[in-house]
Amino acid sequence: MSEEQKYSGRGAAPKPWDKTTIIGKRIPRVDAYERVSGSAVYPSDVTFPDMLYGAVLRCPWACAKVRSVDTSGTEKMEGVYAVISGWSPEAGIYWPYSKDIRMKLFDPLCRYEGEPVAAVAATTPYLAWDAIRSIKVEYDRLPFVADERKALDDGAPHVHEIGNLVTPTQVYQRGDVAKGFAEADVVLEETYRTECEIHTPMELHGCVARWDRDRLTLWESTQGVYAVQARVSEILGLPLSKVRVIGHYMGGAFGSKLQPGKYTIIAAVLAKMTARPVKLFLTREETFLAAGNRPPANMRLKAGVRKDGRLTALHFTDIGTGGAYPAGGTAFVDWLAQDLYACPNVKTELTDVYINAGPSRPFRAPGHPQGSWALEQMMDALAVAIKMDPVEVRLKNIPLYSQARPGNPPYTTTGLRECLTEGAKAFKWDEARRKTRESGKEHIRRGIGMAGALWAVGGGRPPSTVIVKIFADGSVNLNMGASDIGTGTKTIMAMVVAEELGVKLDAIQIENADTGTTQYATPSGGSKTVPTESPAVRAACISVKEQLLQMAAQDLKADVSSLMVRSEEIVSTADASKRIKISGISGLKEQGVIVGIGYRAPNPADKITNPFAAQFCEVEVDTKTGEVKILRFVGANDSGRVMDRLTYDNQVFGGITMGIGLAMTEARILDAGQTGKMLNRNWHDYKIPTALDVPAEMVSVPLDLPDPEANTTGAKGLGEPVTIPTAPAVANAIYNATGVRVTTTGMTPVQLCELFARAKQPTKQKREG
Amino acid sequence: MLPAFDYVRPKSLTDVFKHLASKGTTVKAGGTDLFGCLRDGVFQTSGLVSLNNIKELHGIADTGNGLRIGALTTITEVATSPVIRNQYPALAQAAMEVASPQLRNQGTIGGNLCQKPRCWYYRGEFHCLRKGGETCFAVTGQNQYHCILGGDGCYIVHPSDIAPALIALDARVQIAGSKGARYVPLEEFFMSPTKDPKRETVLMPDEIVAGVLLPAPSKGLRSSYRKVRARRSWDFALASVALALTMSDRRVASAHVVLGGAAPVPWRSREAEEVIAGKQLDAATITKAAEAAMSKAQPMDHNHYKLALFRGLIEEQLQAMAG
Amino acid sequence: MKKRDTSEEDKAKQGLTRRQFLTTMGVGTAAVAVSGKRQAHAAEEEAVIKAGDLTRVALNINGRRHRLMVEPRWSLLFVLRERLGLTGTKVGCERGECGACTVLINDVPRYACMTLAVEAEGAKIITVEGLMNGEELGPVQQAFLEEDAFQCGYCTPGQIMAVEGLLRSFPDPSSDQVRAAMSGNLCRCGTYTHIAKATSRAAELRRKAGGAS
Repeated sequence: MSEEQKYSGRGAAPKPWDKTTIIGKRIPRVDAYERVSGSAVYPSDVTFPDMLYGAVLRCPWACAKVRSVDTSGTEKMEGVYAVISGWSPEAGIYWPYSKDIRMKLFDPLCRYEGEPVAAVAATTPYLAWDAIRSIKVEYDRLPFVADERKALDDGAPHVHEIGNLVTPTQVYQRGDVAKGFAEADVVLEETYRTECEIHTPMELHGCVARWDRDRLTLWESTQGVYAVQARVSEILGLPLSKVRVIGHYMGGAFGSKLQPGKYTIIAAVLAKMTARPVKLFLTREETFLAAGNRPPANMRLKAGVRKDGRLTALHFTDIGTGGAYPAGGTAFVDWLAQDLYACPNVKTELTDVYINAGPSRPFRAPGHPQGSWALEQMMDALAVAIKMDPVEVRLKNIPLYSQARPGNPPYTTTGLRECLTEGAKAFKWDEARRKTRESGKEHIRRGIGMAGALWAVGGGRPPSTVIVKIFADGSVNLNMGASDIGTGTKTIMAMVVAEELGVKLDAIQIENADTGTTQYATPSGGSKTVPTESPAVRAACISVKEQLLQMAAQDLKADVSSLMVRSEEIVSTADASKRIKISGISGLKEQGVIVGIGYRAPNPADKITNPFAAQFCEVEVDTKTGEVKILRFVGANDSGRVMDRLTYDNQVFGGITMGIGLAMTEARILDAGQTGKMLNRNWHDYKIPTALDVPAEMVSVPLDLPDPEANTTGAKGLGEPVTIPTAPAVANAIYNATGVRVTTTGMTPVQLCELFARAKQPTKQKREG
Repeated sequence: MLPAFDYVRPKSLTDVFKHLASKGTTVKAGGTDLFGCLRDGVFQTSGLVSLNNIKELHGIADTGNGLRIGALTTITEVATSPVIRNQYPALAQAAMEVASPQLRNQGTIGGNLCQKPRCWYYRGEFHCLRKGGETCFAVTGQNQYHCILGGDGCYIVHPSDIAPALIALDARVQIAGSKGARYVPLEEFFMSPTKDPKRETVLMPDEIVAGVLLPAPSKGLRSSYRKVRARRSWDFALASVALALTMSDRRVASAHVVLGGAAPVPWRSREAEEVIAGKQLDAATITKAAEAAMSKAQPMDHNHYKLALFRGLIEEQLQAMAG
Repeated sequence: MKKRDTSEEDKAKQGLTRRQFLTTMGVGTAAVAVSGKRQAHAAEEEAVIKAGDLTRVALNINGRRHRLMVEPRWSLLFVLRERLGLTGTKVGCERGECGACTVLINDVPRYACMTLAVEAEGAKIITVEGLMNGEELGPVQQAFLEEDAFQCGYCTPGQIMAVEGLLRSFPDPSSDQVRAAMSGNLCRCGTYTHIAKATSRAAELRRKAGGAS
């Protein structure tokens, strides 16, 4: 099959949509009813009459060797059906922490607090936890290191035998940074740190596992059912056809549910042992320890700029950690330094180290918010240093191609300039910079800040297979493997069907996220779901349409090339009297259904598709108490074509909200100097934003620049770029208000009071017109 | 998941005390703090004695010479009571700042006064001094949320918003026990770690808080409560200040300045009170009072910020009173 | 100490009416409350329920009476989801820190995870399923649909119940009241902006429907 055929099964790739009737409108979600009525069944809602509840005993120490596990009393407890530990024959299963590192499911060597040591299944979760509490474990505590900044110190305990360096420091270089700094009018250097963030999706991590002899069905809260199927079948040595994974709904993930967890395997083993379905969802506390995190970043950035605003050199370094196993502790952290702004001389150095803490998992725009925190504050500082508007400085450095990739491929589209200018316009940036907005109280200051961003992926890519089926009455079934993780995937795909086939949204039934019944899709993540799936959906629709037109041409005795679909009818463009209702087409009646298969075609060979963004905010700072109130936010995005304006805006506001969490309050706190244990493993001490922590006023500015070269729907990813520039935009606004640079995330009074006190009389930045 | 416990809901106080006499039982009011402690294994209980059916512990009543707030009155009821909002604004403001709306709907004023410390070592899997261990982990650990005043062996801060406001307003706590009732000024209700690091209050095992008594507001009484926290809802105070000043002829006739988030017990700053007593609240006096409040503070490695924060907060609140 | 207590007691007697004083001490019959709702309680008989024993409770959920056996430690959340199949109420933390399990108890939003099933007897419990009118969405649910006031939808039933509780007390809330009422429900997807809009819309829909809930 040629690449062209992949678009539609027949014929050439479709033209980009010219005018759209549904795409781009504000459309409420097609599954909103289920989600607001409470009828949607999430994996954690699944119950069976004979179901047992699983629970996991986890190592309470940062590093320890399990000497013995005594479950003798536990096994006799009422309601306890199975107890399993590293000594159980059923636990002889290996968990792949990386390509090269495989550890036992219950390995005696626990390299982080929260590593599973034993598990049980019982008739209620209460009894399961009674059972867990009754297990007696003897540990040999081992030396640990829980601060990545000390992992390479002499004498630091080794997390792995080879030491604490995951790989040798990765260096990227283009041009000559020494030369670049020599050419600069201003050179600044600063250190920055972003704290480790925890995903904490609302639905806990876990699954319900059920066997029918040798066939395993998993209802897993996941971003990708096929990814879970592949990993589980590999670990358990089962053919793919014997592992069915279902995840019709899921309650959030942000990258932490791209793959199954040890908990998935433990649930399957317990279900096998007891011959009953087992529900195993982690407790909230466990998810803080063992369900991933965003690596902390310890960055240093040296930057040179000329008076005209052109960057001459950037030198960026980062020390990060993915925890106790290889988990991308520095992945993508330098990408923005490499690629966001035009700069001929760039050097980056990434050092990924092991510490005794839970392994990271990809977290919404991996690496990018960290790098953005450094780069965007530096851009702001450079602007101040050369007395230039921070928007202007960025506009002076807009690249038209990807500088970091070999061969410097151009972007299919880049809206970075428009994000900056349109966002600034919507924010009334120039006016805000001119205005002195004193509150009347000396210690209450207002300031504005902004930041730009791109997301290194977000263009989507093969593979994806989608089936669209039209029933005899003209209604439609859409079958795709992709999970809707809350971004509106189902709604947007239904809109593509409605746009292409002219059917009403409520005539579309959707089946998704089930390896047993739906088509192949990669996990929903990387802001690639819409640009990956929507072209496949469109291709499937076109295939259906072509078959319909062929059939209609016979009924109408018309030339197929003169026919088109219009609101549930096939009409002739040549002769208006020639029309037939889809449900009246005789071929369709005879056949019962028409099936169209769509595949995601490859991306253009020599170009890169990235989304771009810019954000603007205003803050009010109480310099006496260190309190920051974020007053308003504008988010401008180039994510290609706007598919559903309603869910689009929702993503923008959600990304800003999560970015506010990173900026203001979120940080994993480890007792690094004493025990290495995590101190804030609950939602009280780990503070994510509430409704009172986000501004009442948030504005989304979608640029709606369809990207016809990227794919056949012209959409690019959105879910990740929306959270990248938020934190530095807030920090820049605080600087603008007070003259104090906050270089570590967590801008609460705990940090700010001292910074303000040290600066004594915080001075307002002069706003130059 | 909660461990197992016996459960009883007596109909009379006499029965409450009977059940509390059994070893290892625990009083349950709203339960919002208790269930967290049981879930985290902070302490164990053999049985819960629920106060929910004890009618006389509910409600807000005018005593003719002030107010009695029954121990089981919910935080929401305290926050929204018109009489409290009018006459004791500091208390209403403090109540409004507690936890989250749902927790305020369930948590009680008595429970708020008897809640366990929020120290993450105490609440976590650490056998700390307060739990009968040898050491306070905060001393050399992550102590950004710990005390700067009054620490002694244990360095928690008292978590209540309501207590500083009540102390500022001269409240007394009504304690009921099998041997009868006693009344304790709220300021003396809390146990400093110097006296006993394993107890938070003077309550004996067979006693409960029955209510809180507020004196009638004196003429010229102005009160306020202000809380600074990392997150704007659902968060304990990094620092809070309750003020109750009786103003007379533009001068401070009497002053109560009580700090939350500062010490293991709600901390009455007599140093600040002395500075402002008898004075007009001019800028110099205010600055001096704020300085005085922190004059004996002994910050730990990670909580130096509290000095600047308390100074700023006290200044801000006194200025608001003056203005 | 002893002496001091006596004098405090005297003062208190002056402060309280005699009758209130007696009731406070548990020898009277009723308290006089000038404000504050007393939590009605059906259970009249005192009985010690032993740990691990099952006891019979009758719960009034969404207007229907459910009789079942529960352990004293079982939360209302566990009973709703895992015993009665009312899985609209979600589990997020089981420690009163997220709001996913928010239900109305006597019209007031509460966390089902922090409520013992044995203490929910006698109360009117409303879950998200109870806002439905047959297959039709209630006004708050409809408003959430229209304004796209959710993403993953997992915190949504709890958010809806918090808004429902607000509107039952304040049919026409100010924007500050709305944000305050929302502040006991986390949304990790960050849809607060849309939830606030949905709350205004819900108030409008309720008014059109004649304030029916």
